[in-house]
Amino acid sequence: MIVGERKPMDEILAMLEPHRRVLVLGCGGCVTVCLSGGEKQADELASQLRLAARKKGRQLTVDVDCITRQCDREFVANLKCNPSDYDAVLSIACGAGVGFMSELYPQTPFLPGLNTTFYGACTANGIWQEYCYGCGDCVLAWTGGICPIARCSKGLINGACGGTNKGKCEVSSEMDCAWHLIYERLEAAGRLDELRKIRPPRDWRLDRSGGLRRLVHEELVDEEARK
Amino acid sequence: MRQVNLTSKDITENPSAATELTDREWAPCRYNCPVHADVRLYLEHIAQGRWRESIDTIRRHLPFAGVCGRVCHHPCEANCRRKDVDSAVAIRELKRFVAELQGASGATVHRAARQDKARVAIVGGGPAGMSGSLELAKLGYRPTVFERSPRAGGIPATAIPEYRLPRGVIQIDVDWICAHGVDLVTGTAIGRDKSVDQLRKEGFQAVLIATGLSSGKDIPIPGAPPDGVLGALEFLTDLGMGRRPRIGQDVLVIGGGNVAVDAARSAVRIGAGRVRMMCLETREEMPAFEWEQREAEEEGISFIHRRGPAEAITANGRMAGIKARRVTRVFDENKRFDPQYDDSDLIEAACDTLIIAIGQSPDYGFLNGSALRLDARGRLEYGPATCQTNVPDVFACGEIVTPPGSVVEACASGQRAARAMDMYLSGGHIVLDDSLPPFIGQIPTATAEKVRKVIRQPVAAQPPEVRRANSQEVDHTYVESAALREARRCMSCGAGAEVLVDKCAACLTCLRVCPFDIPVVTDVARIDSDRCQSCGICIAECPANAIVSRSLEAGWIARRTAAALEALRGAGPRIVVYLCGHTASAAQWRGEEQSSDGTAEVCLPSLSALSALDLLKAFENGADTVLVVTPQDSVERYPQAVKRLRKRLAQARKMLKEIGLKRTRIQLFELTRPSRTAVRETIAAAADQLRAGPIKPIGATR
Repeated sequence: MIVGERKPMDEILAMLEPHRRVLVLGCGGCVTVCLSGGEKQADELASQLRLAARKKGRQLTVDVDCITRQCDREFVANLKCNPSDYDAVLSIACGAGVGFMSELYPQTPFLPGLNTTFYGACTANGIWQEYCYGCGDCVLAWTGGICPIARCSKGLINGACGGTNKGKCEVSSEMDCAWHLIYERLEAAGRLDELRKIRPPRDWRLDRSGGLRRLVHEELVDEEARK
Repeated sequence: MRQVNLTSKDITENPSAATELTDREWAPCRYNCPVHADVRLYLEHIAQGRWRESIDTIRRHLPFAGVCGRVCHHPCEANCRRKDVDSAVAIRELKRFVAELQGASGATVHRAARQDKARVAIVGGGPAGMSGSLELAKLGYRPTVFERSPRAGGIPATAIPEYRLPRGVIQIDVDWICAHGVDLVTGTAIGRDKSVDQLRKEGFQAVLIATGLSSGKDIPIPGAPPDGVLGALEFLTDLGMGRRPRIGQDVLVIGGGNVAVDAARSAVRIGAGRVRMMCLETREEMPAFEWEQREAEEEGISFIHRRGPAEAITANGRMAGIKARRVTRVFDENKRFDPQYDDSDLIEAACDTLIIAIGQSPDYGFLNGSALRLDARGRLEYGPATCQTNVPDVFACGEIVTPPGSVVEACASGQRAARAMDMYLSGGHIVLDDSLPPFIGQIPTATAEKVRKVIRQPVAAQPPEVRRANSQEVDHTYVESAALREARRCMSCGAGAEVLVDKCAACLTCLRVCPFDIPVVTDVARIDSDRCQSCGICIAECPANAIVSRSLEAGWIARRTAAALEALRGAGPRIVVYLCGHTASAAQWRGEEQSSDGTAEVCLPSLSALSALDLLKAFENGADTVLVVTPQDSVERYPQAVKRLRKRLAQARKMLKEIGLKRTRIQLFELTRPSRTAVRETIAAAADQLRAGPIKPIGATR
């Protein structure tokens, strides 16, 4: 799922500086699951904003709303507050939600309350970790499920490089070498042969350098939407 | 597992939707109580030291709270789910404690605004009749109770011995009932002093017969001299009325029920040298409560089991004993009472007084001067569905028409008949809805094992040698501290968490933080009410605000905080204190709402439900500083609650820091021994320090 992390408060306060009437909008999807952008976090953030404004003697009205997903048009109907009634909406959805909602409400600034950080999973209570980069050309089949695009500093697909150092990356001694991890995983699984194969260059057009990416399920596409 | 699909829409349309679930699914204590008293709620009140709210909650359903606090057979306790953890909560003792604490004036009287409906007559001032009359008074009728004996209260007032039930306790209940506009006429027997038909002529538009079982059953003991045999009920009534029945030195009581034990124990108290009981049953089969048997034995009473009287032995025309035959069986194959004897196996039991306690029977004197009839089996004609007799405006309730039972069952019967009378007098059909909501099931072993064990508070009893010599009550009631401790053992069954299915993101947080491993996430999170321990940790942690409490309305903490701040006087720093009401009910002691230290105090059933957002909201509501006073982990009732609380406070402090507010605006106090005094001292010291220090209000607007 998509993981997001709340932006530093100073940045949020700076974004909101020109605005007097603000809606904090939570999203009930991924960012609720990673405890960053749910209704409760929206309530907390709104409370912080009101207190911060009071502290500075600023007039600021902050309301809160939350919908199931900010990345689907239909859920917008469930909004209890109309975004158009506000100077700005501080959305704590992922970037997809912020972008999509901005499209629906072009006259209202939708400001991101989160930094969308990665595709990840919960590894322990309260801890989320990156597992995927969304490169568009998955290689996990032969890397033991460890993504070298997300984890290798160089994004190599024929690792490891000469910079691997006792399991750590030359970039930082704090960082695991992805290819070292891949080696250990495959060795433990008796699949080291995978590494004998030289992998041809990836199709980088599938990554974001190929422009806006789309998924089209033809069986559901209405002709009008195609235009 | 019972699945309720509650949604946020339900809550928006009706803020009480979640708390109403506690009414839609009862704890077994409430379900099994014949009047369905809200046990969980009144125990919570007691646990927080809110006596008045507690007794009001009890009396909402149970008019004879005082009497039942002494003599109830307490099916609530028998069905208490705590017994699968350690032992049942001492519900009856707690009821006794609050019912007697402040007497009749301790409970609120909710008198109907108008009592201008019909006049109704109630025949018999026992638990059934008085409960029926109260219900009718509350419904706007003008009830008059006609009681044969000089005082109301029925068997409890006349024949239950003082050592079990002091008269003053019954008077508390009777006075409280009468305060609702119930007229009481004592010393008037219907059928003797005036008839049912006369009552009608006097303007009573309906009559409720509630005369109970007021006579003792008799068995012929061939050869027994009349002065050597007493009926237990007459014996006990004489004692109850302050007369001194003549008994000898060697008393034998025939019977194995509670009345028999009462008679035997009373005989001891008025000086009998030896008292024995003879009954058909074995010890296990005896209908008398186990504790009654035990206490009787402690007082020197011995039992002769499985024997039935055959004939009297006399000496010089006086009672000298009985011959008793062996009982071969008490019940038949269908468990019906059908004793069989072996007449060849006889023993002799010496005695100079024989007390017969083999059950009670009705006195049908009230039939005189009425069209009321008995049926073919010699019982009052009666339709259980409508509570009516053969005369449509004459109703009946209590033991005259039901099987013999306890006080609380009589109360329920009276209330039911009152509802029927109301339907009749309102001109409608009598359709009584006896359906009940489902109840919370047994606590699974895996959950029971995770609940912290707390020993049941014992009740001190007079030593047997002391109580043999007088008629004072046997058991002492709880002292205040013990009552608080005992009430806090209640597990609040069915008052826990409920998921709003439309909001739940299946994020698993509830499952991950629950100290009892209750939630499961299938389509959405599901929290089994049979297992939930009502700690509220998941509610505080849910990122989607998708979990609500069945016992604490959403937003209650913020509203309560705002109200407490509103009530705060003076110019000093505005300090909000969150307290665990179960360990530190200081603020609302005796139901008083104001805070004593000039701080705005909010008592919660547990601090485990206090969220970081609640703390922020306190500042929004005008607090300058928030103090949180919790018992430390070893004395907190929910495992992990203190750990969670610490983390939430840290989170809230971080959020304050982010907006330039000092972290010290939130302070946590973990008390090793969270007594009321310790809590008060902690708050006072912290408040003093804050008043001395430079705590500025947030912002300049206020």
